[in-house]
Amino acid sequence: MNIFIPLIAGIVAGYVMRKAGRRFKIDLPVSASLLAMVFFLGVKTGEVHVSGLWLFGSSLLFAIFTIAGSLLLAGVGR
Amino acid sequence: MRFLYLVLTALTLGILAGHFLEPNFGNAYEVMLYVLIFLIGVDLGLNFESGEIKKLGREALTLPMKTLAGSLFGGLAASLVLGINPKWGLAIGAGCGWYSLTGPLIAQYSAVYGAVGFLGNLFREIFTILLYPIASKRTDPKKAVSMGGATTMDTTLPIIRKFGGREVALVAFVHGFILTALVPFVVPLMLSL
Repeated sequence: MNIFIPLIAGIVAGYVMRKAGRRFKIDLPVSASLLAMVFFLGVKTGEVHVSGLWLFGSSLLFAIFTIAGSLLLAGVGR
Repeated sequence: MRFLYLVLTALTLGILAGHFLEPNFGNAYEVMLYVLIFLIGVDLGLNFESGEIKKLGREALTLPMKTLAGSLFGGLAASLVLGINPKWGLAIGAGCGWYSLTGPLIAQYSAVYGAVGFLGNLFREIFTILLYPIASKRTDPKKAVSMGGATTMDTTLPIIRKFGGREVALVAFVHGFILTALVPFVVPLMLSL
């Protein structure tokens, strides 16, 4: 599914609620669904059986270096 | 901080369950993602003011370019450390966290580097979920968005919204949107080197 469909549907729903003068606290449902999503992401990750230490280690190195490179050029810390 | 521990616990339980039990949850991950994106949309619809777009400024457009350049640089550096052809490092770095696209694209040329491209970018997404809450407290939360790469318009957007706030969530969405448009072109470009 295109990511824009639930996003636009949510914006429209929120806008309608605002016009109707209804408030809706999203913190609790966001936290609950975020934890569920992270759990399912973990399940997907766990299902990938890494065949070697090199594969695991080099993947970790790429993740760390690409994040560090992006943060460095974005000017974090300056 | 307590929520971060809950995130870590959920992730660890998920990895253990996936590794040892291999449960079939179908597309539960995607469903939860769409629920979260819908809720973020509701929040925007309830609170968004058009003036906020103007406040995003030029940085919202330049940040994705810096993220991509830094990611390519990081991928190149990692390939030099590992002693592999820099072409693979650049292609993996160009993925900017989009593992489901980067892995299969690279696997067309090499299964091993396809697997590294998949896992490396998956780890980037996981690290963003775990580290953004800390990074947003210690540095500029807008600049810290760059760690999520292309994922900041979807999978890491909820955590950025929760710890960075609504204004940073807008920056994150634009950042992820621009990178999502660029990555499908940049990864093949790096593979053709």
